[in-house]
Amino acid sequence: MGTRRLSAVAAVALAAALAAGCSGGTAGETASPAASAGAPARPVKLTYWTWVPNMDKIVQSWNAAHPDIQVTVSKQAGGDDAAAKFLTAAKAGNPPDLVQAEYQMLPSFVAADAVADIKAEAGPAKAEFGEGVWSLVTLGTDAVYAIPQDSGPMMFYYRRDLFDKYGLKVPTTWDEYAATARALHEKNPKVLLGAFSSKDPGSFAGLAQQAGARWWSIDGEAWKVAIADEPTLRVAGYWGGLVKEGVIGDKPYFTPEWNKALNDGTQLSWISAVWAPGVLASNAPDGKGKWAVAPLPQWNASEPHTGFWGGSSTAVAATSPSRQAAVRFATWLNTDPQAVALLAGQGAVYPASVKGQAALSKDPDYFADRPGFWKTAAEIGATARGFTFGPNVNVTYNAFKDAFGKAIQDRSDFAAAVRAMQDATVADMRKSGFQIVP
Amino acid sequence: MTRANATAPAAGTARPGRRRAYGAAPTAVLLLGALYCLFPVAWVLVAATKSRAELFTTSTLLPGTGLLANLADLAAYRDGVFWLWMLNTVLYAGVGALLSTAVSAVSGYALAKFRFPGRGLAFNLLLGGVLVPAVVLAVPQYLLLSKAGLAGTYWSVLLPQILSPYGIYLARVYAAAAIPDALLEAARIDGATEGRLALNVALPLMLPAMVTIFLFQFVAIWTNFLLPFIMLGDDHRFPMTVGLYTMLAAGANQPSLYNLIITGTLLSLIPLVALFLTMQRYWRTDLSSGSVKN
Amino acid sequence: MSPHRPAGARTRRAGAAPYLFLAPAMVLFALFTALPIGYTAYLSLRRTKVSGLGLGKGARKEVFVGLANYATALGDGELWAGWLRVLGYGALVLVVMLGLALLFALLLDTLHVRFARFSRAAIFLPYAVPGVAASLLWGFLYLPGVSPVNDALSALGARVDLLGAGTVTFSMANVAVWGGVGFNMLVLYTTLRAVPREYYEAARIDGASETQIALRIKVPIVTPAIILTTVFSIIATVQVFTEPMTLRPLTNTISTTWSPLMKVYRDAFVTGDLYSAAATAVVIAAISVVLSFGFLRVVRDRAFGEGR
Repeated sequence: MGTRRLSAVAAVALAAALAAGCSGGTAGETASPAASAGAPARPVKLTYWTWVPNMDKIVQSWNAAHPDIQVTVSKQAGGDDAAAKFLTAAKAGNPPDLVQAEYQMLPSFVAADAVADIKAEAGPAKAEFGEGVWSLVTLGTDAVYAIPQDSGPMMFYYRRDLFDKYGLKVPTTWDEYAATARALHEKNPKVLLGAFSSKDPGSFAGLAQQAGARWWSIDGEAWKVAIADEPTLRVAGYWGGLVKEGVIGDKPYFTPEWNKALNDGTQLSWISAVWAPGVLASNAPDGKGKWAVAPLPQWNASEPHTGFWGGSSTAVAATSPSRQAAVRFATWLNTDPQAVALLAGQGAVYPASVKGQAALSKDPDYFADRPGFWKTAAEIGATARGFTFGPNVNVTYNAFKDAFGKAIQDRSDFAAAVRAMQDATVADMRKSGFQIVP
Repeated sequence: MTRANATAPAAGTARPGRRRAYGAAPTAVLLLGALYCLFPVAWVLVAATKSRAELFTTSTLLPGTGLLANLADLAAYRDGVFWLWMLNTVLYAGVGALLSTAVSAVSGYALAKFRFPGRGLAFNLLLGGVLVPAVVLAVPQYLLLSKAGLAGTYWSVLLPQILSPYGIYLARVYAAAAIPDALLEAARIDGATEGRLALNVALPLMLPAMVTIFLFQFVAIWTNFLLPFIMLGDDHRFPMTVGLYTMLAAGANQPSLYNLIITGTLLSLIPLVALFLTMQRYWRTDLSSGSVKN
Repeated sequence: MSPHRPAGARTRRAGAAPYLFLAPAMVLFALFTALPIGYTAYLSLRRTKVSGLGLGKGARKEVFVGLANYATALGDGELWAGWLRVLGYGALVLVVMLGLALLFALLLDTLHVRFARFSRAAIFLPYAVPGVAASLLWGFLYLPGVSPVNDALSALGARVDLLGAGTVTFSMANVAVWGGVGFNMLVLYTTLRAVPREYYEAARIDGASETQIALRIKVPIVTPAIILTTVFSIIATVQVFTEPMTLRPLTNTISTTWSPLMKVYRDAFVTGDLYSAAATAVVIAAISVVLSFGFLRVVRDRAFGEGR
């Protein structure tokens, strides 16, 4: 109530001061309310925040075919910043109609009441997606909060030529991976098999998923938080040991230094996801034709699994006046064969749609000499398992960055860092009043 | 400068030996300072000539072969949105700095040349604004501007950057020193109104300070990142800093476009350097001239 | 130093004119500084409360929590550790940046400098580089593997991690010094240029050396300007944000709460807790006021000579 009174004062004051000459359209400018009432005189206008490359080109083909629903793409900075910006915009009451939502951020958007439940409009799309990825947009509830767009099953990328040069075999279990790292370190201490990055919680979450972790789950009307569960502690202990031994790198991913290491062969492999070819092609162009892909090393070779790193969905803002039109567009974008082909080709994303995945035929340029990239990806993707994300993943991920940064710096126990993540997450949820199963 | 140098030999004849000893050292120290400041800029210049492959392979200080390709890529990026960012930045910085200069100048004039109840309070309040970090203000500013329906517009970036505590401070000090009271009194006796007096007598005398304020505020807006980042949703209204940032933070599964960012950074420096060089002759910062002159 | 002007004649008791002249600034201040500050203070007393799973409509509401956010902010060890880090960093930046700025300004003002125009423009140039770009390019220059600086160092046999635990503060301070020295130099230099040359000629005739003139005459003349630049630098240092923020992705040594303002940013933008961010922001502003207040008084009394 107080907020409203204060904002009214602010609004009046600002409006009075600025009334003259500020007729420029606002970003919040969306659709004329009349438009959604059918037989629109003017086309519905939708704004869409995304960071997929070339999305404006993909949207052009929608706009050409749908004069009644015109979508404007606004390319944003990706990652954490994008989520923060969307949440701020939603809080202020002028979010875009459509937004790219990473799966792990979707629960936060839902908890902030920033995205709409589109079950009524999006129900039919369910058949287009696998069960695992669909559960990421329902959060295991009856609602549907987004249409899945892309998916990121984790895979193991390695330099074929350098593996041959050092006489290394592709590791199929994590024990072999550790042994390979040690063997390589012995042969040439200047090169590294891989690295553990304290800046990429998504990668760590994927590795934990592979080991069978379930960081969050919903138990009736309460959340269960189990970040420091056995699989996660196992994964953390494993990487902590390798970092302490010094047989793998401990510098963050995606820095210029890391790019160079991938490009010049200082780092021989990268535990990444299906989207890696785009990153490698851009930042390690010299490695073209030298890299190969394999499944992740396993904890139990007889029961292969992988996790997810990345992947996002298209959500509709809770306040969008043109929800139906927005969902129509989002459904087209992520399920229409032509649109999905464009997404994969122009946008360099690995589609979440089952048919879309099956339709991928042209191998990424970067792997053009080793045909069958998508077939391998599909096989690996079939073994992927994920978990439900909680309503404050940003707190958890932030705690990951600080705790693991410090643990690497101090060469201290990674298990303690995992516990710090759990504690920070639970403390934040308690502070906000979430119901938590003890 | 040149005139000052020309007088040097004459002054130096008194004690030639000693003077020469000082002669080389200051030049050397200053050139070292210049080298320190130019080195990273020179690096940008070199790096902008490298293709994507060269950026992470060739020796860091050797020029590459990709400059034209980088420029072409940058111009082609999202149908030339880079040039739009450049235009936007010029608009934000140019209009913002002009308005800021006008507001600062009349405020400084009023604070320096009038005695009225509340003068001290007004000055302290305006100057105290510098104590509040921009990061702290940005979110409430965004929320409030949203309520007024202005978030996401050009106004949302322009308006909050008009008030410059530093500019008001500068204008006040300069006005106190540069505008003779006798001149104002004489004009008043001649029957000039206060508005005409300010416009025709006071402000022209403050021109050097206004040039300085304009340049400082121009640079401040040109380099600002956080405010436009929060305020703007539509990337066709982004300024350069926010636009380049979208290339850097391209998202978890997309590569950063390093060579485009570096080339863009280089291009964004060129207008500022040109502005400095042309405006250098007007450049004055006589902060304490009020207490030194006479 | 205070100029001998007949008091009273200088200023005039005028009617509405000064208020009208000040009106634009005061309106802008009210709308874009005072109102947001008030809003921040208001938010700092509140918090969101969710019920149950916190999903779905109406599960989340804003409640009044009194000073609870302040209690959390003041009791947070990370915030105080952040102040300590910033204190060390700030001392370094202030001394080096202002020292260099003064040195460069004095050298520019000597008679015998060659290439002065070039040096002045070159030293000022970094001021025009946006902070985001500055730390991107310094990042390149710091990271082993892509850094010519590191190449040179290791060629000399020194293997230094410029972003290591022991060096990262210096590396960050370097970015701040690089970006700020030119501005401060220019402020001091133009103050010096405003001094009539005859001032120094008299001293020269008395046999004073250039060094003596610099130390005994010029430094006292620019003292008010030094105080002013110090105040502005202190405020900027307390608010240090851009450098650690943009170097952070490159190294394990900078936490997300390295400086107090980074904690504000993290709370507001990363973990979505606007309310804690507001409380911390108010604490930071209070500390800034305390730190700067004494200096501001000094500025008014000394640089103005008209504070009274």
